[in-house]
Order: sequence, then C-alpha cells, then structure tokens
Amino acid sequence: MLELQSATLAYDSVFAVDSIGLEIRSGEQVCLIGPSGGGKTSLLGLMNGRLASSSGEVILNGKELKSLSGKALKTARSKIAWIPQDLGLVSNLRVNQNIACGRASEKGFFGLMRSLLLMGSREKKEVADLLKRVGIEEKIFHRVDHLSGGQKQRVAIARALYQRPEMILADEPVSSVDPERAKSLVELLTGLAREEGQTLVMSLHDIDLAKRYFDRVIGLREGRVVMDGAPDELDLTKLYDLS
Amino acid sequence: MRRRWFFFVGVLLFFSGLWVVGARPGELLPNEGGRETASEFLGAALRPALDFEDPEMRGSERDFIHKLGRALWLTLRYAVAAMSLALLIGLIWGVLGSRAWWSRSTLFLQTIRIGSRLLATAVRSVHELMWALLFLSAFGTSPLAAVLAMALPYGGTLAKVFSELLDESESSAAGVIRMSGGGGLAAFSVGVVTRALPDLATYALYRLECAIRSSAVLGFVGVPTLGYEIKTAYEDGHYREIWTYLYTLLAVVIFFEWWGAKVRSLLTKGVSSKKPDVRQPDVAQLWKLRGSSLFLRSSLLVVLIGGSMSWLLEDRWGAGISWEQRMRNLDRFTGEIVPYPVREADGDWGEFGPWLGEKMSEGGSEAVWQTFHLGTASILLAGVLALIGTRFAARSLASSVPREVRDGSPAWRAILGSVLRGAAMLGRAMPEFILAFLLLRIFGPTVWALIIALAIHNGGILLRLGAEVIDNAPCRASSVILAQGGSRTSVYVGALVPAGFSRLVLFLFYRWESCIREATVLGMLGVASLGFLISDARVSFFYDEMVLWVALGAALVFFGDLTSDFVRYKLRGKNN
Repeated sequence: MLELQSATLAYDSVFAVDSIGLEIRSGEQVCLIGPSGGGKTSLLGLMNGRLASSSGEVILNGKELKSLSGKALKTARSKIAWIPQDLGLVSNLRVNQNIACGRASEKGFFGLMRSLLLMGSREKKEVADLLKRVGIEEKIFHRVDHLSGGQKQRVAIARALYQRPEMILADEPVSSVDPERAKSLVELLTGLAREEGQTLVMSLHDIDLAKRYFDRVIGLREGRVVMDGAPDELDLTKLYDLS
Repeated sequence: MRRRWFFFVGVLLFFSGLWVVGARPGELLPNEGGRETASEFLGAALRPALDFEDPEMRGSERDFIHKLGRALWLTLRYAVAAMSLALLIGLIWGVLGSRAWWSRSTLFLQTIRIGSRLLATAVRSVHELMWALLFLSAFGTSPLAAVLAMALPYGGTLAKVFSELLDESESSAAGVIRMSGGGGLAAFSVGVVTRALPDLATYALYRLECAIRSSAVLGFVGVPTLGYEIKTAYEDGHYREIWTYLYTLLAVVIFFEWWGAKVRSLLTKGVSSKKPDVRQPDVAQLWKLRGSSLFLRSSLLVVLIGGSMSWLLEDRWGAGISWEQRMRNLDRFTGEIVPYPVREADGDWGEFGPWLGEKMSEGGSEAVWQTFHLGTASILLAGVLALIGTRFAARSLASSVPREVRDGSPAWRAILGSVLRGAAMLGRAMPEFILAFLLLRIFGPTVWALIIALAIHNGGILLRLGAEVIDNAPCRASSVILAQGGSRTSVYVGALVPAGFSRLVLFLFYRWESCIREATVLGMLGVASLGFLISDARVSFFYDEMVLWVALGAALVFFGDLTSDFVRYKLRGKNN
C-alpha cells in the first residue's frame, strides 16, 4: 500500500529521515518507536505528503506522492487520515462540527460549510453512531474546549474514522495522558482500525503499548530504521543507549 | 538594567517633549476667566438640560430631546454604516495580508502580502478627521463623505489587526483538513478563521465603539452628529445642553463596551450543554440540550439588521449634490492639490522640491517635531497615571484578600478601586478631541489642554489593561511577600510590576502609536502642531498645503506604527 524507497529528509546537513526503505501493507498495524528526535514525526510527514522528501521516493498505491499535485494529491490524501500530536481540533467548534471536517475532501468547501452550519439529521445520526463507538456519544454537541483531554483524543479518533480512510497516521496521540488512559486509547484505535480493515501507523514512546497492540514495530534512531519486525523481536539496545 | 534605561529614557523624553511643545508649568492653572468658565461648566454637570436652555434658539426642532435623539441617531447610523464597510474592507484586506492565507511562499505572493499590510498601515495612518477633510473638500459635505472618511482608516486598522489575529490562530487543525484532502479555502475558513472568530468579533466590536466616538467627533468638521451639537452648544454658552450630549455619548459608548465584553466572554468560553435527564438520550434530545446563547444570536441579528438599516435609511447619501457637480468639485480639488509652483510651471515637478523645502522651513518641520513630542509626552503622562492608578484599581490588590492572602484591611480600598475603575471607564469612553475642545475653553490656548486630554483617555485605557496584567500575573512571590507582612505597595512595585513589565511596556507602545495619530489632529483646535497647519490651509483653500501636511502627518504615524510594531514584536518574543 505504502512504500518508501531510500526516502531522505534533510534540513541543511541534518538528516531527519536518512535513506529509509520500507513497505507498509494494507491492513497492517505498525508502531513507530524510538527516542525523541529519532525521526518518527518526519517519517509520518513523508507518508502523507505533508513533507517532501529531499531524495528517494514515497509511493502510495503505486503513485509517487511527490509527483502528485492538485486534485490527484487531494484524492490521495483523502485516503489517509492524520491525527497530529496536538490533535488538530478546532476548540471553539462543537464535536459534531469537528468530526464533519474529516470529510472535507468529499464535501468540498460549500458542503463542509453546510455541515458546520446546518448539519442534516442523517449526518448527525452517523456522527452519533461513530461517537458511540469511541464512547462519548452524549458529547456530540459539546464544544471541544469543554471536554477533557481523553475525550478530545476520542474526538480526533472519531474524525479520522469519519474520513473513511484506507490508512490512519497518528503522531504520538497519547503523549499527554496518563498510562491507563493511553492504554485504553491505543486499544480503542487499534481495535477500531482492525474492525474496519484500515492500515494504522502510530508513533509512540511507550514500549509496552507497542508490544501489546501492534503487529509490527519499526524502531527509529537518528533518522534511520534500526529495527523492523514483530513486537517480540524488539531489541531496546538498538533504540536507546543503555550503557 | 534594561528597566532602568527604559525609565531614564522615558523621563528624558517626557520633559524634553514638554519643552519642545512649549508646555509651561504656569499655564496649568487657568486664568480668572478660565476659572469662571470651569466653575460654570462643571456646575452645569449636575443639571443636564432636558429642554432648550434658550427656547428662542430651538430653530426647527420640536423639543430638545428630539434634537438630542436625532444627533444620537445620526452618530450611531454613520458609525454603523462606516463599520459595516470597514469590516468588508478589513476582512478582504486582512486575509490578503495574513501569512496563514498564502500556503505557498513565493517571492511574488510574499510581495502581495507585505504590500497589503503596508498599504493597510498607510491608509490607517491618516486620521479619520483628515480623511473627512479631504472628502469634504473633494466632494462637498455629505453623509457618504463622512462614512467613507471613517470606513477607510477603520478598514485599514481592521485589516492590520485581522491579519495578525489570523496568523496567531493558525493551527494544526488547518493542516489536518488539508492533509485529509480538503481544499485550501476550507482549511483556512475552518482551521484559521473559525479559531480566530472570538478575537475577530471582539476587535470588530471594539472598533465599533471607537467608530461611535469618531462619528461624534466628525461633528467638529460639520457632520451633524453629537460633536456638532456639542460645538454649537458651547459657542452658544449652553453648558447644561453640552452635559446632556456628553452623558448620552458616554452612556452609549459604555453600553457598547459592556456589549462587546459580554459577546467576547460568550464566544471565548461558550455555553455548557445541559446534562440529559434520561439514561440514553437520542440525537434529537441531545440537540435540544446543546449549549447555546440567545444573547449571541440576538446580537448577531441586531448587527445584521443595524448594518443594513444604516445604509437603507439614508435617502440623501450625496446630500442632494448632482453627480456632475460632484465631479466638478473633484476635478477642482485634484487640480488644486498639485503644489502651486508646479501648477504655475505647467506641471513641472522640478518645482516641487524647493516648494517642499520652503514649506518645511516655514513651520512644517517644527510642526512634525511638536506633534511627535505631543504624542510622546502625553502617552508617558498617561503611563505614569495608569501605573499609579493600577496599584489601587487592580482587583487582586484592592480586595480584602489581596493575592489570596487575608489581611483584614478596611473596605475603603475596594471602594477606591471601584471608583478608579469607573473613572478609567469614563476617561476611555470620552473622545480625546471633545475632551481637548472642552479643556481648551478652561485652560485657554495652551498645549496642556491637549496633553491632559490625551493622557486622560489613554490613561483610562492603560489602567484597564494594566489592571488585567496585574490581576492575571502568576506571581507566587507576591503572596509570599504579603504573607510575610509586606505591604501591597511593596508587592506591586517589587513583584507584580517586574513580572508584568514586558506586557505593560507592550501596551504603552500600542497606545503611543494611537497617541501620535490623535496628536496630528488635535492641532485643529488651534494649538500649534500639524493639525493646526492643516486646519489653517483648509480655511485658506490652500489644498496643496493641506494635502502636504496630511501626508506628513501620515508619514509620522506610519513611522510610529512601524516602530511600535517592531518594539511589540521584540517584546512578544521575550515573553514567549
């Protein structure tokens, strides 16, 4: 589904991603793990075309992302949902309005405005059903800034699912919550993605969560892949300097 | 060390400013005639007129209240019409000038963005009263000229502030929409504009409050608003009528301030949804329980109706002047703004340089210098007044539990705090121009009247902003000092002012720019500065000179604006 061939991202002489080659298959649950500054966020940025590689290729469904522009790029992106570290929610909009933004590509500008200002009953029902799956259906018409941190994360997950993507990219979405809540959120997101058959690539700091919920773990250090395999193959000495 | 230098330069600029503008301490005490006028004028404050003081001067008016109502109605209508146009200009221009709108950063697009911002700054550098003089001279007296005179500089101001607010609110929400395949317009509208909406709306309402003050002030150049009635009532010696007009203006401005604060609070905090009383409510039930504000919806309706009515209810926008006549006026005006020697030399612009040099040496340079110092000395005085006043007005210090440390102090502190906050509100509600006009009648033709007028208005604004900074300063040291028996003044001087110093200076520079802008027009009241030269050139029909002085004033404000922006940018950087 997604293939990186010697993908490199360099800022001046610093390599955020250094000649990475890997393939992510459809429906896979992949965890990116590694120390801060290891290149996780940059790698995710290359995967959805947010960042353009300095050299090498990022190929999504057979098409090189860097070569796409205009409508073709929008179509490619509409298949990838992105959950950034700060969740990217509009805090002064209601939950249902934030979720409607997940289909910005499909709706177009006027359709999105219509959803935000006058959401129809069918769409409200669809959003409510989705929120039920993430466990906050009663918050559908709450303003996002009236929600707790954990509830906001569930809204971001719901928005990603509402997009009906083939792949979800999540950049440390549980970095600011306590371990118990982080566990339940990772469990929720991996579970929902599995149910929908969606590919999930998530960066995490927590090794236990990576081992427990993912099919495959990719370890990154200084912009390079230092390990790639099943969770039980995870070798911490390759990731962190434990000496 | 930096703070010490700041105070040293401030004191130096204040006293040198007083010396340059010719403010002598002896002139601070009004002469006998002035004292008499002051006592009569202030005595009338307690007996505002409800009917004509001189029934023979009623003219065509039915009664005084009717006259007052008409002046107020026109003041509001012109302000609202101007703001509706300014809002349109500000939104389009503000978007063009914002970094958030231009997702790509090519040299061409950067040039458009920076050009938009500079043009907005240039347009707002000319005071609305100056625009009014230009439009009235070019087209003749008409409601449209008054509205355009306000709409242009206000549009420029809104554009500048809107573009800054849009840039500050850019977030990953816009990125998420773009990355999920949404268009740039959708990403910008939802991820940037929606996030900035509370700030945009609050600032627009604040400018509406300013527009009401400006609309009143336009009365001094012949537009029949509250300022016109104040001016004529003063010329007729009807002080009680003046107080009625002033109280009305203050009440309206204070009402709009209250309205703006309420709207801001509701937009920023939102309204909480109610809790459902059934176990598993359906979507329709949850929709009914959503947090919504009738006040906000009514406000939006009032704004839309008010904006439309302000345009529709005027049937003489052109004041009955035919299009041909207006074009002839404009032709004459555009011909006469070309410098006289250039006209005489059949359009040879080589004559412009010597003419400019002559005008500058005949008083232009001195007027620019005086205007700069008038604005600077006034804002420094306002800053000192606000700094002293904030000590007693800040709620967290005036309370009986200052900074959450109980000290069992008497209730007079809280009362004094309320009185000071009330006085500051009155000060900022009163337009500087009207205040200066009244003070000049009391003090006589001295520059002190202008300095005090600017200091009162800006001091009121700075006191409010300063009190907010002090109340919100997260300073644990202040509680420790109080708990150890320190006085509130020690806490204020030793902990709170240093903690909020950068923000206080930031606000001082923000108002300095406004003070310079106001200083360019206050001279129109008859005291030497650029405004005086403008007024003088206008009555002599020397439109070439008038435009030159207006352009010089704009250049001075433009310089002040850019300097203030630079300092604020640096201070913000230090805050972050």
